[in-house]
Amino acid sequence: MREPILKVNNLHYSYGNGNPALDGISVDIYKGEKIAVIGSNGSGKSTFFLNANGVLKADHGEISYQGTVINKKNLRELRKNIGIVFQEADNQIIASTVMAEVGFGPMNLKLPKEEVIERVEEALSYMNILDFKDRPPHYLSGGEKKRVTIADVIAMKSEVIIFDEPTAALDPLNAQMLEEVLVKLGEEGKTMLISTHDVDFAYRWAERAIVFDQGKIIADGTPLDIFKNTGILEQANLKRPAMLDVYEMLVEKKMVADTKDYPTSPQDLKVLLEKQFKFA
Amino acid sequence: MENSLGKSINFIRTSEKAEHQVTHHHKIGHKHGEGSAIDFYAYASKLRCWNPTFKVVFSFLTLLLCIGLNNPFVSIAVIIGMAYLTVLKGGLSLAAYISVLMIPITFIIMGTIAIGVDFSSQPIGQFNLFLGFGYLFTSVDKLQEMAFLMLKVFGAISAMIMMTLSTPSSEIIGVLRKAHVPKLIIELMNLIYRYIFILMDVFNNMRNSADSRQGYCDFKTSCTTFGSVASNLLVVSLKKANAYYTAMEARGYEGDLIFLEDEKKMPMRHLVIGAAFIIFLIILGIMTH
Ligand SMILES: Nc1ncnc2c1ncn2[C@@H]1O[C@H](COP(=O)(O)OP(=O)(O)O)[C@@H](O)[C@H]1O
Ligand SMILES: [Mg+2]
Repeated sequence: MREPILKVNNLHYSYGNGNPALDGISVDIYKGEKIAVIGSNGSGKSTFFLNANGVLKADHGEISYQGTVINKKNLRELRKNIGIVFQEADNQIIASTVMAEVGFGPMNLKLPKEEVIERVEEALSYMNILDFKDRPPHYLSGGEKKRVTIADVIAMKSEVIIFDEPTAALDPLNAQMLEEVLVKLGEEGKTMLISTHDVDFAYRWAERAIVFDQGKIIADGTPLDIFKNTGILEQANLKRPAMLDVYEMLVEKKMVADTKDYPTSPQDLKVLLEKQFKFA
Repeated sequence: MENSLGKSINFIRTSEKAEHQVTHHHKIGHKHGEGSAIDFYAYASKLRCWNPTFKVVFSFLTLLLCIGLNNPFVSIAVIIGMAYLTVLKGGLSLAAYISVLMIPITFIIMGTIAIGVDFSSQPIGQFNLFLGFGYLFTSVDKLQEMAFLMLKVFGAISAMIMMTLSTPSSEIIGVLRKAHVPKLIIELMNLIYRYIFILMDVFNNMRNSADSRQGYCDFKTSCTTFGSVASNLLVVSLKKANAYYTAMEARGYEGDLIFLEDEKKMPMRHLVIGAAFIIFLIILGIMTH
């Protein structure tokens, strides 16, 4: 059995107003997994992420990173290895130049200056924003700021990267750029957790989906299993992905044979149709 | 705000269109307060790549000489020298430069008039003007003193403006850090600088949304709206501070705010020319004493 990279056990958290924001969360996350975290507003996704990174301290429960239980002493290790790209770039960007901003994390890791500079340049060219280096963040556009915040986390070389609703404020072009970056990071074996309301994106990108509802995990499985489960969709107020509907309609009307090979994007569907019609 | 920021971004990107965009921006700039325009000019200046410590030290020395030598020729040399640096070397349009210089001009004129012109109940002095209840009077000496004082203040201000129009605040803060200004003050300055722009955006959004709902239709409503926007801004800024702190902690912040600073080269040529200018000012001051 593989050892989980991050193991969360029976986590409880409340913001001090009584109502629990997290109510007994247990989940094992394995290296290289691509996980979509879905659930309505206020279901506890962001709170879970902040707990996983060690910024918020759980009332009960424990978190282990690579087999080591996290306590006050090794909290640093957790923050170093789990990076969060926050929902609002303006709540994350703290420095007055892009270079200083991306260097902030590595500086906090107390790395030598040469290595910080090296990492900053690497992260900036990874995100294709090397020429923004000396610019102040307040003259960047929303999409550009998002790239800077992703570069922030790349420069820290975190094993696990968490994106909190990354597509929320992006235009279609920037959302596509983001998806390309996600694919690239996935190919490098990074473990990623992304919270999103875009079920089509979750269906096409994720290998695993975790559904939050009122501070609890109500489902955890492949996106296909979850989106086929009407009970869960209703409980969490989720829509079905369009491609799943299209495929099931085509199968129902006997227009394609049911191969259980579910297409997740129009391109996949095209491939499937071409294959089936060649043999027909 | 949005509009002018859009222009700013364009401007930084396309340097070939620089000349045109600056004048364009300048027209809009006044509407949004000179504060952000100055910040923006600093980023766009061609002097930005100069070593910030050199710029800060050079402009402070110039300022000190301008005040210390107390000599109109030195003042004129400083005014010309700084205008040359900012406009010709830095690539700022003359119109924009003058508009920045105009900010303090009212204060200077009002302040120096009080020195040049006096009031009395008797017709005394070389020139006087009867106002019905008394006399305004002055003399050539006094007018000359006033003119020299104006030149001196202008020289000093243009030295400071040369620095602010070519060095972004974050770099000036970096120089202060090297000068061993206490860490707490440096950290505060850094955060405040970044924060100003965030809150300005929030404020503009709130004001526009209030405006779109007729929140500024008459004086009384405007006052109430201003009050609610201001108190809301306080709440928002507290929440933002919280969110900020969370994000900093997530990236390993442990109480020391340290930023990566870019080391800018200090060419010998700048040092020599800078020293030559300072020495020239001193000699000019002594010769025309
Ligand atoms: N800073 C906070 N202070 C108090 N309550 C909060 C705070 N942040 C979130 N909550 C509450 O915690 C619950 C979970 O919120 P959150 O984790 O932000 O959900 P999500 O990210 O899924 O939208 C919500 O009921 C929300 O009102
Ligand atoms: Mg959230």
